[in-house]
Order: sequence, then structure tokens, then C-alpha cells
Amino acid sequence: MTDTANDIFAPAFGGDRATSALEEALESAPADRIEAFITSRRGDFTRFAGQRIHQSQAIDEVQIMVRAEVDGRVSRAAASSFGALRAAVDRSCAAAAQQAADKVTPAPRQTPLADPGADLGASSFDSGILWGEDTAAWSVGEHARLADRAMNEAQALGGVAAGMFGRAVTEVAFHDREAHLSRHAFASEAQGSLTVRIDDGSSHWKDLTRFSDRLGADAAIDRTLSQASRTRGRAKLEPGRYDVVLGPLAAGELLDFFGAFGFTGSALGAGFGTVATRGGEQVASPLVSVHDDATADIGLPFPFDFQGTSKRDVPMISNGRAQSVVTDRETAFALGSESTGNFHIAREEAPHAIPMNVVLRASDSTEDDLIAGIENGVYLQRFWYTRTVDPVNTTITGVTRDACFMIENGRIAYPVESMRFTMSVLDALARVDGVGTDSLSQPLMNVFNGSASSPAIRVRGFSLGTAPVSKGNA
Amino acid sequence: MSAERTLARPSVGHAAHHWGDLANDAAAAELLQFALAALDARGVSYADVRLIEAEELRLYTTLDAGLDERIENNLGVGIRVLVDGSWGFASVPVSSTADITLAAERALSNARAAGSVANAYRTELPPLPAASGSYLSPVETDPFAVAASERYELLGQILAAASAPVEIVMAQAGLNAKRQHRHFANTEGSVQHQHFIESGAMALVNAVGNGTMQRRSFPNSFHGNTAQAGWEYVEGLDMVAEADRIGREAVELLTAPLAPAGYADFIIGPAQMALQIHESTGHALELDRILGDEANYAGTSFITADAVGTLQYGSEAVNITSDPTVPGTRGSFGFDDEGVPASRQPLISRGVITNFLSTRDSAARIGAETTGAARSDGWGYLPVCFATNVFLEPGEGTTAELEERLGDGFYVDDNRSWSIDERRHNFQFGTEVAYEVKNGRRGQLHRGFSYGGTTVEFWNSVEAVAGPSEFKAFGMPCGKGEPKQWGFLGHGASPTLVRNVRIGVDR
Repeated sequence: MTDTANDIFAPAFGGDRATSALEEALESAPADRIEAFITSRRGDFTRFAGQRIHQSQAIDEVQIMVRAEVDGRVSRAAASSFGALRAAVDRSCAAAAQQAADKVTPAPRQTPLADPGADLGASSFDSGILWGEDTAAWSVGEHARLADRAMNEAQALGGVAAGMFGRAVTEVAFHDREAHLSRHAFASEAQGSLTVRIDDGSSHWKDLTRFSDRLGADAAIDRTLSQASRTRGRAKLEPGRYDVVLGPLAAGELLDFFGAFGFTGSALGAGFGTVATRGGEQVASPLVSVHDDATADIGLPFPFDFQGTSKRDVPMISNGRAQSVVTDRETAFALGSESTGNFHIAREEAPHAIPMNVVLRASDSTEDDLIAGIENGVYLQRFWYTRTVDPVNTTITGVTRDACFMIENGRIAYPVESMRFTMSVLDALARVDGVGTDSLSQPLMNVFNGSASSPAIRVRGFSLGTAPVSKGNA
Repeated sequence: MSAERTLARPSVGHAAHHWGDLANDAAAAELLQFALAALDARGVSYADVRLIEAEELRLYTTLDAGLDERIENNLGVGIRVLVDGSWGFASVPVSSTADITLAAERALSNARAAGSVANAYRTELPPLPAASGSYLSPVETDPFAVAASERYELLGQILAAASAPVEIVMAQAGLNAKRQHRHFANTEGSVQHQHFIESGAMALVNAVGNGTMQRRSFPNSFHGNTAQAGWEYVEGLDMVAEADRIGREAVELLTAPLAPAGYADFIIGPAQMALQIHESTGHALELDRILGDEANYAGTSFITADAVGTLQYGSEAVNITSDPTVPGTRGSFGFDDEGVPASRQPLISRGVITNFLSTRDSAARIGAETTGAARSDGWGYLPVCFATNVFLEPGEGTTAELEERLGDGFYVDDNRSWSIDERRHNFQFGTEVAYEVKNGRRGQLHRGFSYGGTTVEFWNSVEAVAGPSEFKAFGMPCGKGEPKQWGFLGHGASPTLVRNVRIGVDR
């Protein structure tokens, strides 16, 4: 199929246009310091369910955000086009000046930006891990073919398939007038996800990468169809503590909580959370290393954040020991360290540093190896709607879902029903005695260009279900 | 037609609506017609265009980070087409009419790609009569016109009050305002112009001590609360006094006894009930979920499409409505995002399901009329089925009378943890506070209260709902779709008495 209007798969602006527009707009702005970034994201997303592509979408988004500082006070203004950039500059400068006139509490101080010539992060980043020509060629027509295949083959098995195949170009440009620093990068993104249901059976797949060839979308469809068939006729699972293998998606979901559990500079500065209270201690199995690493060729790598800071490999847990936190320029200054390049502005939230490309380091066991090490236990493909219960004890709750099986004598035995769990993430990671080799990546909730990547892990003693109690008032 | 953005020419209502590039309805209507014309004679059986400008002001201050102030503006168009029974959608930021032409081309191209699926279900959209008009948020004081110094001073006072106790290690105060011009036209002849104003505030604290960390929030735990109103809403919150209260309560929770486990009778306050409604009723009754459209992302529902009139969802005390005509929350509007006029729709009457939240597409698939619940996060995303104002209708009496009726149990409120399965059936919620109630009188504060169960079991445990004087509504954010978009909704309730519900489920 030929995609006419959808053959646009390129950065919205390009480096020269983006950075020169920023440089020109900021040049004479009435501020002591001023910087700005542009983010653009141009994507095609083919969503299907109910034996049709029900949401065939092309979405272009642009945000240009200016940060002006006057007498130590800071204000930001954003627009969605270059035509409105000047107005954003004027607004941010005026608001910062107003804050200064009103003598509001000054903004926190920042670590300086690295000298471009001495920025080892910038010079060592491998830009080859950002862009895939395979993704550029992975057209909307190809997405439709995959959707067609998944839905019709599921239907032939008496089931239904729902999912999404999509690609996007993410572009970020940054300019700091006082530091005379401009940066620009762009990256491709390919993602696929699929849920197949056949009777009471179901299976799910999801992956996220810069390179569409790595998705192996056709093989993923085959696998998901097969697993959905094998999960028909689920048995009830009794509440209890089980040895489990968490598939890559279930294990990856645990990584979503590292920002909430104290692996950030703000938590360390306030004196709470894992690193503040247990820094240097063995908090997880020695087999577990969890890094925030946007320089690695996994998930959604990117060279710098919205403050122009080069991203680093941050070992949050290294061989089981709680080690480091992610920072932006403000929290780094407060801690007397250097920014790790994790500044983020989320919708309806104050800006703060968070983990953005979280990676549980893979090892050398296949999923079958991990399963073979369990005499009686459970394989859990995926968690659903996990939320923090207790940030001090790193406790979360959620439910298991899709392809979940009893394991007997080191083999997948029979499918089991979903079950609620409430469990400490660090307690689970402390019980890991096997780490897989093949990772899947998934988006981090409400994080721009965020991903969590993990292989399967084996956990000895994972609590499933809520202990029954008899009725009658407490 | 100019190739540049249309200049603002205020044409409507209160001065608060006179801002930006899309304030002028007539000029916006020209751009809408330009977009529809770009689709003309291209095999399109239906199309709609949404041209939206939004601007949001947010100020936050925290103990460790001073003041952060930002204002964000965006303007763009979203175009949806139906070609040979297949939908296509495209959205772009708009700087000129060329952008609109590009979006039209991409929407058409996407619809054709969607039509390539073999054996595909072909969408048939029953026509609706044209509905044109306008809607404006009622507003007394423009939140964007409030002096910056007034905002700064209030924020500082909230933060100081919230963080007064030494045990408070994290405190945050926030103020926000949003304004939108939302213009809509479709190929059936509807042309609509809506102009929204929102204002909100928040305070959040974390206290640490005694081996625990305890959180308190006001006026709601989900980013505070935002109303579709002017600055008068913020002034009415009494934020400084409330910030002082939650700071002290967070400290009190550090040494409060742990709420017990077992089964209990208790009253759930309006903020927690708003979440209960959102998760276990609003989402469960979204027809697109019921039909499987969200099976891969937001989930499905335990409700089936034939549940209307048959499923005893709750007790006779449970009456739930969708009513975007009620002004003042984030679920209030004149027309939904596919141009359907707002209307009050009973969803559950005396415990029995009477209707779903639906869009034109989902309603057509079950041969029903839409209930007008197509919502989208601005111009960038497709309208999907989100809640509107979904309220538990009040019963009778005051909260004090309800506590007397309770006898012994708890009064709980303000969410701290929430999770529900993908069918919206098995849930587990935790609250920030739980006051013990003995002989109908509120007493000691407990920490760590949680409750759980299944949706139908829970709603059938509702014995009574307090009266209209105790009713509170909240604006809430929500996520749906791939890529995920935000929906902004309204939920509300009066305190609600439930009996024999499992508690202490998160340990």
C-alpha cells in the first residue's frame, strides 16, 4: 500500500531551523538568563479492535517552552508554533520580572551546564542508537497489514484481537543563551502491542524500541495467538506465597515505581526513600541491577534532557545495593553533585527529576531456564493497574492478568485465573534468584520519551491474593 | 482567507473569554468550513473538525524548590473522517491554513489504510440532526486577570500553613487556571463554539516519623481540584486554613493506630466516593470498553451490552446519572466532542442499569442513541468515550445523621491508593484518613485504612446516601487511548454509608 500524506516520517523542524529559531528569539530577551527547548512528536498510530481498525491516527504535537530568569526568579511560557515563540519569550520574561518585583522566594540554584567542549556525555553518545531507517520504512500500510493478520487469525481461532502498531519521530532542540549552548537530536520510535482473547484465555505482548525490526511483530503475533489458546480453561489459583517467574512485562512494571520509592534527588534531599534511608545497603538480590540509562541501546535512549544536560548511566541499584539517584540541575545543586540529565515536566505537575529510561540489566537465562528452576509455582505474564500502597515499604498493589500458568516440575502446566496481589517491590527484588536474557520495553506512565525495560525474573516467594477472613465487623 | 492565524476579535460573553487567537466565533467558523471543504467530494460519508486553542497557567511552590510558574498555550486542529465505513484521524498544530489542509489529507489517507483490512467491520453512523450553538463557562472573576502578586502571596501562605509542623518533610502548594476555545463543525451542518474557563488549587503534605510516612491533601488527592469557574472558586476553598488542617492531620496520622482488618460498616466521604464512582461505575459503563475497543489498553468491563434493565448493579439507594448540563466541573459542557448536545442521562436507577456512557460510534453498534460522552484532550486526540459529570445522586439528611445511622464504624475519605482490575470488577482502595465512629459520634483518627471487594457487591452494600446539602463534586483527570490521552471529568457524591465491606485488604 502506498501512504501518500502519511509518508512524512522526519523531524518536524530539523536542527538548523530549530536551534536558529531559538537563538534568534532569545537573543535580546530582557532576562538575566534565558533558555528554551522545543519538543516535537510526529506519529502514526494504528489501533484495532472489534474486527476493524477503529483508530487510524496521525498526530503531530509541538511544544516550545521558554524559561526566563530575572533576579533569581523563574517563569516558563510555552507555545505550539514558531509563530507564537516571541510571545512566549515576552510572557516568560514579564512573569519572571513580576516575581522579582514582588520579591517572591527565588528559584533554587542550578548546577552549571557542562562546557560543550568538556561534555563527555555529549561526545561519547552513540547517535546511531537513535534512528532506524527500518522504522522510517515501517509504514501505516504495514501497520494495517499486521492488524489485519492479528484480527483475522484470532477470529479463525474463535477469538478476538485488539492492539496497536505505531511509529513516531521525537525531536528535541535546546538553547541556553548565557551558556552559548545549543543542542538538537531526533529519534525514531516503533511500538507494538497486542491482546488476544479466546474464550477465557488471553495473552498480551508489548514492546517499544527505536528500531521496528527489533519488534519482530509477526513473530509476536504468532506467540500471542498461541499463548491465548493455551490459557483457555483457567483453573482457580489459591491465595498464597509462590515461587514465580515474572515475564518481562510484569517485571518491567515494577520499574515504574523507582521514582516514587526514593531514587530521586528530591527524595534524597528530603531524607526519605530507599537511597536516603538504605543507601549502600543490600536492598535487592545481587543479581539485580536497575539503572536509569538513556545512553544504552534499549528502550528509548536520548542524549540530553530539557535542560540541555547530557544523560548518564545512573545505577539506582547495583548488584542489589541501593546506590544512586537521578537529578536535574536544581536537585544536583542542592546535593552538591552533577545533574544526571533527568529533568522532566509532566502535565499538571511541578517540574522534577525522575527516572526516564529504566533498565533492569539482563543476564543469561532463557525464560525456560527460569521456569525449569521452579518445582511448584506460577508464571505471571503481566500486571495490571499497579499503584503505590506504601512508599516507605515500597508496597504496591495490582492484579495479574493474561497468560498466567501454574508451573509444575519445572514446566508450564496449566493456565490460572488472575489474582490481586499486594507486595513490596524491594522485597520481591530481594528474592530474585534468576534473571532472563531477552527484554521487552514499555512506556513509563506520564513520562515524555520514558520507557522501562526488563527481562523475565524468577522470584522466590511472591504473595498472591488476599488472605481470607470471616465476615463480621472488625 | 488569510494564510496566517486568525486574529482575536472578542465576540462572546464575559471578558474572561476574550483572549487568544480563536476567541472570534465567526472567524473560527470560516476555518472550520475551510477544513470541511478540503474533504469535500473525497468519498467522505461523515467528517468533523475540532479547532481548539487552550492556555493553562500553573504555579507550584514546594519546600525545597521555590516557586515554579508556567503558562502554556497551544492551538491546533483535529480532523476525523469516515470513508467507506473506516475511520481516519489526523491532528496538527495550526499556524496557517496549509496545516489544516495537511491534516485533512492525512485523515483521508489514514481512513483508506484502515479500510484495507479484510473482513473488516464497516462502521455505519446513523445521521444526527444538525445542532449549532455556543456554550460559555460561567465565570465571575477571570483567573488570568488576578494580579500575579495575589497568586504569589496566596501560594506562600498555603505552603507556610501546610508545612508548619516540623514533621512535614515535603509540602506543595499549587494554583492553576485554564481557558479554552473549542470550535466544532461536521458534515451534517453542526457548528458549535464553546469557551471554557477553569480554576483550581491544591495542597499536599508528607509527614515522616515513627517509622512511617503519612500524606494528606486538599481539596482532593488527584492534583487538588479544578472547577469550571473563575478565581471565585479558589477564594471559596479557604486554602490557608485547610492547608493548616492537613498539615496537622498528617502529623497526627504518624502516631495514629493502624485501621483494623476484617469486615466493617463505614461512611465514605465525597472525595473518595468520587473515585469509587469513577473507577467502578464510570469506566464500567463506558460502552466502547464494553464492546472491546479498549481491550488492549484501558481495559474492558464486566458489564455486557445487554445489561440495561437487567443487572442489579447496586442497592435501591444507588442512583447514578451522567449530567454535563450541571455547570461548574470539568465534566460540564454544552456539546460533547462529536457535537452531541449535552443532556442528563440516568445510568443507574434504584440500583438497576438504565443506560451506558456512549459515543455515536459505540451507540450505533448496539442500535442505541448516543448519550453524548465523546470527549477528547484538546485538538490532538480522537474523541473517545470518557465520563462527563457522573454523579451519585444525593439521598436525605446530613452527614451527622448518617453517622448516627452508622452507629459504630468509620468515616473515611481522600484517596491514597487505588487499583481495579481490567474488567472494573475487583478493586482495592486506600484512604488518607479514617475516623472511628462510636455510637454515631466521630472519634479517633486511624491510618492505613483500605477496603476492597467487587463492584456489584460493593454497590449493593450501599445502605444510604446523605442529602444534597452534603454533595460535593470534583474534577478528575483520567487516561485512555493509544497514544494515551487525558480526559477531564466530573464526579460527585454525598457521604455514603456501606455495610459489611472487607477492610484492611492491603497488608
